[in-house]
Formats: sequence, C-alpha cells, structure tokens
Amino acid sequence: MFPLLKTGAVMQYPAKRTLQFNTDAIRFLDGTEQRFRDNPSVLHRWTIPLDLLDEAELTALDQFFVSNQGRFGSFEFTDPWDGTVYPNCSLAQDTFAFQLSGEMRGKTTVTVCENRT
Amino acid sequence: MIYFPQLSSGATGQFPMTRRRENRTVVNQSRQGYQVKLADAAAAITDWHLSFEEMSDQELAALEALFQAAEGRLTPFTFLDPTDNLLAWSEQQSQPVWQASTLLALTAGVADPMGGTAAYQVSNPTTATLTLQQSISAPASLDYCLSLYARSNQSTALWLVRGSETDVRAISPQWTRLISAGQLPDTADSISFGIALAPGSIVDVFGMQAEAQIAASLYKQTAETGGVYPNARFRDDVLTITTVGPSRHSCELDIVNVEYL
Repeated sequence: MFPLLKTGAVMQYPAKRTLQFNTDAIRFLDGTEQRFRDNPSVLHRWTIPLDLLDEAELTALDQFFVSNQGRFGSFEFTDPWDGTVYPNCSLAQDTFAFQLSGEMRGKTTVTVCENRT
Repeated sequence: MIYFPQLSSGATGQFPMTRRRENRTVVNQSRQGYQVKLADAAAAITDWHLSFEEMSDQELAALEALFQAAEGRLTPFTFLDPTDNLLAWSEQQSQPVWQASTLLALTAGVADPMGGTAAYQVSNPTTATLTLQQSISAPASLDYCLSLYARSNQSTALWLVRGSETDVRAISPQWTRLISAGQLPDTADSISFGIALAPGSIVDVFGMQAEAQIAASLYKQTAETGGVYPNARFRDDVLTITTVGPSRHSCELDIVNVEYL
C-alpha cells in the first residue's frame, strides 16, 4: 500500500494528475485522416511532490521504493481526487531521491503510473 | 577497516544532504501499452551528496586521510548513512540478523506506540540475564546512539546494550523512548546493539534504532538492509577544499555504494 503522510494524506499541493490516451492518426494525401486507438483505455499518472517531510515519512517512502524494487513492483493506488482505486500501478521511475535541508525538512517527488492490465 | 569519519560534533553529515537510490528494471513495452518487466536487483546504486561547511583542521585532516587511504574512487570504505537506522529488520526480531539468547521468548504482533502492531513482547523466563542483539560491521570507536521504545507492566528496568557498555533505564507501563549514547574506547571492527533482560522480566519493545551520532532522531523502520554500507566509494578522484580562514574549511563530495563492484 502506498504510504500515507502523518496527516493521512497521500499528496500535497501542487499535485498533478495526467490522463493519457494513445491515438494513432494516418493522414492521407487528400488531407483526410483515419484515426484509431492504440491503447484500449486511458492510463493515469500522478506526480506527487512532497515537502517538509520528517525522516519517518521519508523512510516510509524509501522502504516502499525498496520493497517495490523501483518500477518493477505493482501496487494498488487510490486516486486522492475521486477515491477511485486503481489495482495495478507502479512507481514510474527506477530512482528515488530526497533532500534533507534540516530536521523535518525533507523534500522529494514520487510519480505513480497506472499499468495496462 | 577504513571508514568515513565523524565530525567533532559526532555527526557524519551536515544539512543539506541528498540521498538517491537507483534500481534497474528492464521493461519490454508493447504497442498497446502492456509491459513485461524484469528486475535487476544486483544493479542497485545508492549515492549521497554531502556538503560540509566550517570544518576544523582536525575534521578536514580526517576526511583527507580517508580520501588518501581510499585513493579517491579506487577502494571501498565503510559509510554509515546519516539519514538511516543502522540496524536491519528493525521490526522483525525473528530475523537471523538478531541474535537472541536461547531461552529468550519473543512474541510478535504487540500494539506499538505508533498505532500499529509491530512491537514485540520479550520475556526472560530463566534465572540468568538474557540478551537480544544485532551486530553491525562498523568501527566501535565512533559515537553511537541506541534508541528504542519500551513498556512493561511487570518490570521497572531494562538494560540497553551498546557495544561493551550496558546502560540501565527505567521503564513503566507507558511507552517510553529509551536512549543510550556515547563513544566507546574500543577499536573493534564491529559493534552490537540491543537489550538485556533481568531474570523474570517481560518487556514490550518497539523501534530499535542505532545511529552514528550523539542523539536520537525520529525512528526509521528498516527491512533487509540497514544504514551500513561497507562497500561505499568516493564517486570522484578529486576532492576540492575551500578554506575561508584559519580552521574554516568547506567541501562537497559524493559517495556511491554499488554492490556489484
């Protein structure tokens, strides 16, 4: 399960959510187009910038990254916008970095993406 | 053993510091967006960017001595992550890294002070003192801080084991964070941390944490690896030092831990 902050929240503002379709378009000599979908449905992606975290919150995210082996593992993610549960999600990157600029001043960004099921 | 030195404050790093973990996953993606993934755990890299300001002559000399002993990025040294708990499996005392005396009884799933059930009940049914310890491969001569949460309805004291030193701490039915910190006159290449229970004691324990510093920070849960990196190296062959006055030095450096090297 994706770790929650001490407040119980998943994200902080400004948070970003991306919806992605994948459409192929073939354009003919007369200017007409034929379009078709490459992917059967939309895929979601959440960019989660986190600031002013304490070390325990950072460690929880770090342990989550380690247990998932970066973008290899999959997990269930609840969209904080609407509460929809996406059962097959992964971390989007093989890298997890954080900066500590002082006590309880940790900063990091995590990106979660929905996998095609 | 060559190891990354502590500052005179007992700290290994200064703020700001950055730690980055990098894994390698081989991904084969189809046109429809389906993915087949293969993890390559052996290729994992951890690196730190450390900035030091206002270092004294002695602190700089220790850092330079390490850089020369390691010959830049050539040879590895032991690095104790200043942002992590040095003990592995901090919430699974049944793992082999924990050395429990034979007759010590451990019961998992006890309510912990963070609202979970990750605490352990540790009981000593014998007439001798029994211990639960974990040994790490790190120089015993550094400053260390052992911390843990404990409570007991029956016992009033618990011994904290930090290398060759044992500190007794009072406990009560309420969860209390116990701390044992300091430096030992010991030149061994390993050090043990844990608890010792008097005969007949029953104690609930949670969140054992060892850090290479003089005070405890917030508890950090660990799994199969703690914050001890015996195969760390300097990332660069160059160490640049800026001196702005007598005994006022600063530098920035990158340390990388790559298991496959």
